[in-house]
Amino acid sequence: MKMSVADITFFLIGISVMLLFARIFGELARSVKQPIIVGEILAGIILGPTLLGLFWPEVFQNLFRQSENVGIAFEGLTTIAVVMLLLVSGLEVDLSVVLKQSRTAISTSLMGLVVPFFIGFSMGYFFPDLLGIADHSQKLVFALFIGVALSITALPVVAKTLMDLNLLKTEIGTVIIASAMVDDLIGWIIFSIILGMMGTANHGFGFETTFLLAFAFISFMLIFGRKIFNYVLPTIQNKLSFPGGVINFILISGFLSAAFTEYIGIHAIFGAFITGIAIGDSVHLKQHTREIIHQFITNIFAPLFFVSIGLRVNFIAHFDIVIVAVFLLLAFAGKVIGCGLGAYLGGLKRWDSLAVGFGMNSRGAMEIILGILAFDAGIIEEKVFVALVIMALVTSITSAPLIGFALRYKRKEKLITLIDPKLIIFSTATDKKTLISELAQKVSEIIKIDKEIIISEVLKREEIMPTGIANSLALPHAKINISKPVVAIALLKNEIDFDAIDGIPSRIVVLLLTPQNDNELQLKLLSEIAKTFGDKKRVDELLKDFSPDSIFSNLQKL
Amino acid sequence: MEFPFKKIGLAITFSPTGKSLLLEAKRLQQLFNSELFLFHIGEKNEEKEAALLQLIADSGLPPNSFKLDWGSGKPAKAIIKKAKEYSLDLLIAGALEKETMINYYIGSVARKLMRKAPCSLLIHTIRPGGLSKFNKFCVSVDFTSENEKMIQLAYQFALLENAKEFVLIREFKVLGLTSTVYETGSAQGTEKVRLEIQKEEEEKTKLYVKELQLKNISVETVCLYGKEGWEANKYIRENGGDIFVHLAPKHSLKFVDRLFQHDLEFIVKELPCSLLLIKLSNEDKS
Repeated sequence: MKMSVADITFFLIGISVMLLFARIFGELARSVKQPIIVGEILAGIILGPTLLGLFWPEVFQNLFRQSENVGIAFEGLTTIAVVMLLLVSGLEVDLSVVLKQSRTAISTSLMGLVVPFFIGFSMGYFFPDLLGIADHSQKLVFALFIGVALSITALPVVAKTLMDLNLLKTEIGTVIIASAMVDDLIGWIIFSIILGMMGTANHGFGFETTFLLAFAFISFMLIFGRKIFNYVLPTIQNKLSFPGGVINFILISGFLSAAFTEYIGIHAIFGAFITGIAIGDSVHLKQHTREIIHQFITNIFAPLFFVSIGLRVNFIAHFDIVIVAVFLLLAFAGKVIGCGLGAYLGGLKRWDSLAVGFGMNSRGAMEIILGILAFDAGIIEEKVFVALVIMALVTSITSAPLIGFALRYKRKEKLITLIDPKLIIFSTATDKKTLISELAQKVSEIIKIDKEIIISEVLKREEIMPTGIANSLALPHAKINISKPVVAIALLKNEIDFDAIDGIPSRIVVLLLTPQNDNELQLKLLSEIAKTFGDKKRVDELLKDFSPDSIFSNLQKL
Repeated sequence: MEFPFKKIGLAITFSPTGKSLLLEAKRLQQLFNSELFLFHIGEKNEEKEAALLQLIADSGLPPNSFKLDWGSGKPAKAIIKKAKEYSLDLLIAGALEKETMINYYIGSVARKLMRKAPCSLLIHTIRPGGLSKFNKFCVSVDFTSENEKMIQLAYQFALLENAKEFVLIREFKVLGLTSTVYETGSAQGTEKVRLEIQKEEEEKTKLYVKELQLKNISVETVCLYGKEGWEANKYIRENGGDIFVHLAPKHSLKFVDRLFQHDLEFIVKELPCSLLLIKLSNEDKS
């Protein structure tokens, strides 16, 4: 069967239109601070049977359903796209970090897997009609699928959410990412078993054989494959053209593994994902190479795949409010309770644990991929698929605001929110000791900390090394037994020498007290204060206006 | 400040490196002004005892400057037992720079000690030309209170050694950062964020060092992005270093830690230089 000129022409136009709409709506989503995937799915819904197909069926037909050949070409293209997506997802899975994170990440990922899976499986098994089961003879497979669908977390969306919230490098961020990696890995393994149970395309292998082959493949890749890739990557990067050679090698390995897992009946994406993990683990895979691969795949293949989702199903015709509501309820309950509890048992504070739960609730791309595979395998029908897509989008969109809500108290750890008008004094002190005593007095009145402890700790630190910075700023500080950081500011009438690097005596003194065992917080705040008061011009302006009314607002403008 | 390695121990072997390690133990005993415990794991007989005493005499250790004991069983287990018995503060062990694949999975004595030693551990790499004092200290940084105490100890050690350089190495990785390429739309966007984080980390490290008051030695700070352990290893290989100081693992490392290698496992797999793993006592931790 050969594609005609018309087939090729419309196929290429179709791809262009998909990429164009994906870009427009992706950028629109980004401009309103929503995940790009939301825009890409929306682009698909607009181009698909839901809107274009409804109002201009001929245009839709010509663009995407020109002939059987075009349909096959699109299917091939989206298969390549999804295989590549899973390959790059695997590249970012770093299981060693999970081990290093130990208790918190392990308990979060386990609870984040067990609780949603249990909820999903129970509902799918005992109340399958509520979740839109089509074939009651496949109740076990359906229930298993619902369990997996509720257990998955989308790494790219959650990583971007954490980056926007400035949480990616925090303990909470690391726990979320590490747990998402584990949940995805186990989730895909279970899903591959489900596909094996379906026995749709396993070339005559029985379930046991498929299972054994899959197990052998995972073990080989994660134990020996990782070592082999780690061994050959430096040679490839040094001897072949860069980065072309290494990108080529990664894609060849990914496609070969994908072909193998497809052959044994557990779908191509699984092979690509596991190979991604094995290659991504290599210490020789350069950061730059990773980013280039991500850029290449996520800007071309991801949009094509996500737009194609909307082309396949009529989202209005198959929208079932009850199923959507049930999925949303189960999704939130499973992940927020499971991961939240896991994080709490792992040692995080209550609100931090809740933030972890909300972060892990973001399903995004992974859920949609899982959904389309289940749909293609006949495990679910259109209305369940539509519900899954909506659940994936809603959980992704709500993740950031909900994390922000749970962590609203964390904002108090930034300098701007730590400045309290009650802790700003105008001092006429002429020496360091008197000034620190005045500041300590003020702090002890407001925060109820023993004044003598503050004086003793701050002076002890001052004796070791004076804390004059530059630009008339001094930064006396100490770590004491408190739970939250405290900032008190003194504006001086008389200059006091704090031995600053630039030799200028100080007129602004910022006293910083931080919790005893939190070095990183102290360093973060010291760095922030030094940076805030780093602009000489602005500091000079601040020093010009010493009126009590304006000083607080001037400080906040710095 | 009195150095806390009051009791140091060495398991003597008749291997070619045995004498070098004895010399090093002697040197450290004098440096720390500590008690020295020597033990040999193996069957005790007259012939072996004589050979052992000869080896000790050859190293120049005065007869009353050490305590000699014998142990039996599997080497690593027996050494750990002796370390516990004598409440050692520091155990010295020798190691090859590079492990074979079999050693990697099965575990050499040094690796087993690294995982289970009840006290601080100094793994000496035996280089051609023998041992010499540590001139360049490389020390890992992670901003925790325990790390702060470990750095102070390493600093005291470096001062005693009259070391020339003291390099503080901060390794960090932002998990999931590359995944944001999809959402930011470009590798440049993600790279920009990474560089901002790198800058922030460098500033924090400098402030941290300032807070530590390491005045009497030339201090350098290095911030490396990538896998912890591996990056430090690579840096030391490329830039030189005589000893790498790191906190001892909080829990015993297991097979799964080797399977999914992280920090210390990268270091021990291919030692870039001698390795000092500091185990803080409960008193130090508080």
